[in-house]
Amino acid sequence: MISPAQDDPAIELVGLSKRFGRTLAVNNLSLKIPRGSTFGLLGPNGAGKSTTIKMLMGLLSLTSGEARLLGVDVVADPVQVKQRVGYVPESHHIYRWMRVREVLGFCKSCFHSWNDQTCREMLDLFGLDLEKRVKHLSKGMQTKLALLLAVSHEPELLLLDEPLSGLDPIAREEFIDGVLRAICDRGQTVLISSHMLDDVRRLADTVGILNEGQLLLNGNLDALLTTTKRICATLRDGCQPKQTPPGTVWQRIRGREWTITVRDFAPEKVQQVQATEGVEQVRVVDLGLEELFKDFIRGQRVTP
Amino acid sequence: MRIDPAGHVPIYLQIADGIRAAVAAGVYRPGEVLPSLRAMATEVHVNPNTVQRAYDELEREGLVYSQRGRGLFVADRGDLSAQSRAGDGVRRALDEAIRAGRLAGMTATQLQDLFHAALEGLAQDGRKPS
Repeated sequence: MISPAQDDPAIELVGLSKRFGRTLAVNNLSLKIPRGSTFGLLGPNGAGKSTTIKMLMGLLSLTSGEARLLGVDVVADPVQVKQRVGYVPESHHIYRWMRVREVLGFCKSCFHSWNDQTCREMLDLFGLDLEKRVKHLSKGMQTKLALLLAVSHEPELLLLDEPLSGLDPIAREEFIDGVLRAICDRGQTVLISSHMLDDVRRLADTVGILNEGQLLLNGNLDALLTTTKRICATLRDGCQPKQTPPGTVWQRIRGREWTITVRDFAPEKVQQVQATEGVEQVRVVDLGLEELFKDFIRGQRVTP
Repeated sequence: MRIDPAGHVPIYLQIADGIRAAVAAGVYRPGEVLPSLRAMATEVHVNPNTVQRAYDELEREGLVYSQRGRGLFVADRGDLSAQSRAGDGVRRALDEAIRAGRLAGMTATQLQDLFHAALEGLAQDGRKPS
């Protein structure tokens, strides 16, 4: 077998689709994530995030399209994918009756690349008790154990499916520190899906928003935050402007307040709003990640 | 250093602001080494690529210089340059405050009065008991 080149992207999806009966859960998804980046996959419930990750890990079949992880086709060589990719699933299927020590021994035997030192470091960081049974661990501890298992075989890529939901703030911070160590010490590429937008903001350098199986946007997180802005205008009584500037993501008229969120912000867009019949005053507001996320999703739901 | 992940200010700018403030306050002195990428990333719980971007920014403005393999060092007179650049962060905070005032319909004179009153208040707080 030809070993994949080091400059292959960490993740490459081409026209990936998944159909469940009449529902298209993932719809013609194309995406390239370079090595070394940390990608935050955002999207409302049912957007297809988990379905996508499960297809990558060979847990669901592909309806159509292609997916390559580290240059390896996930359909042609699922075993190599499992050896080289670390995975933290949404719900853990770790052997609940085993003690932590037994789980570690079992997983170690499955991976030729298992690294005892990494494993020990993570045990120390997380303060996991080797003698406890998995079913007696708190949800936070179980998630941290899942991360420990995912990083200890030294994967080049980590796929984290909604790992932070239901965790208390301290468990979340410890989990994040575990991921940061993986990034700092071993240069691992990370894809994390989450609704915890503040945590994604800390962890990710790139984000994508998935909605109804399609990618709405994808790019550098800081760049998206600097180029997406809200233009807020005060309207004269009874005015209902029809024309919005190019790149409008979402808009709303409520009483005298007209709110428009635009991507690729430029001063001309403000001038255009200012010049609209019935507009009295205009100001520009910067957005945080949560507002940006909501506006992109709401913009898809409102019929123009 | 406090990072606000919910706000609109890019995190790399928040880190750069935080380090400038730390250098201006003498936490890191000229000739001393800044924390490594790994140390800073795990300290503030932020992606190392983002920390790198903040470090690049500080190196570009001359606050720090890199010595291959040894890390980033605070430049001579870095404390002075940090004090003047720390103005950037203050300016952003002021802009924000002025926008809030305008939204509430305040005039420039009213804003000026508020600013002077706030300055006066801080000066009183900062005065050491004699």
